Amino acid sequence: MMLRWLVWAAVIFSAVVTDSQAFPRQLCRSWCGLEVEKKKETITESAGRQQKKKIERQEEKLKNNNRDLSMVRMKSMFAIGFCFTALMGMFNSIFDGRVVAKLPFIPLSYIQGLSHRNLLGEDYTDCSFIFLYILCTMSIRQNIQKMLGLAPSRAATKQAGGFLGPPPQAGKFS
Amino acid sequence: MWSIMHASGSWPWSPAKPLGGKADVSDWNSLRDQEDEFLDVIYWFRQIIAVILGIIWGVVPLKGFVGIAVFCLINAGVLYLYFSSFQQIDEEEYGGTWELTKEGFMTSFALFLVVWIIFYTAIHYD
Repeated sequence: MMLRWLVWAAVIFSAVVTDSQAFPRQLCRSWCGLEVEKKKETITESAGRQQKKKIERQEEKLKNNNRDLSMVRMKSMFAIGFCFTALMGMFNSIFDGRVVAKLPFIPLSYIQGLSHRNLLGEDYTDCSFIFLYILCTMSIRQNIQKMLGLAPSRAATKQAGGFLGPPPQAGKFS
Repeated sequence: MWSIMHASGSWPWSPAKPLGGKADVSDWNSLRDQEDEFLDVIYWFRQIIAVILGIIWGVVPLKGFVGIAVFCLINAGVLYLYFSSFQQIDEEEYGGTWELTKEGFMTSFALFLVVWIIFYTAIHYD
């Protein structure tokens, strides 16, 4: 039970740490992106060079903010990567070969490699810790980030090509 | 969030048709904020449904892919009824029914699985 709480704590910790530094930059980037969209939609045929120059300036601002955001994100990505590596090593040694839960369904064959990882026997309803950990990362971590206001904005999500929900976190989001 | 779920069934303010079909520049930001707020309501509604169904499925217990399929149907169906019948919003303003359907779906599915697995293991497995 204590060890399960350790897993939860690790997921929550990584959720809070992720992107906390990048949030102000991300907000700025989203705002710039929206400003560019706004200006493009209001431009008419008779707008002339002045409007186009304004749009170019906004796009330049957007590019700069994108670059700054990437730099800040890289730092948090390294920190997260380091935390995850250390935590995964620790949890592997603790939970390796142990059944941590019982699945109420039999997973698809290509998921069994994950859900039945390093477990003995042919009972595929036995769940290894890595499967539960990944599910927790996808659910609890995303929700905590959204609750704390650390999740990327929808404008930023669209630029990153997020699919079926908030974008994947550190290492994949740019 | 809860103030948005208006008991009368209608949207608490009326941005339904934003100023003659094309958003005025000065109202752009408030329109975006309203859209984002509604999408947040959809998102959190999905998470709540996922937790409730996960607990019920784990306690009953409901097993197999039938449980997953029924969850997907209920999740999508309830939210569809909410935004089309109860709130009576124009789906095109939010990018269509698909955009509203997929808002927070994967996160809610993962949350549902976590809750379902934990309750099933805790109650039915020694």
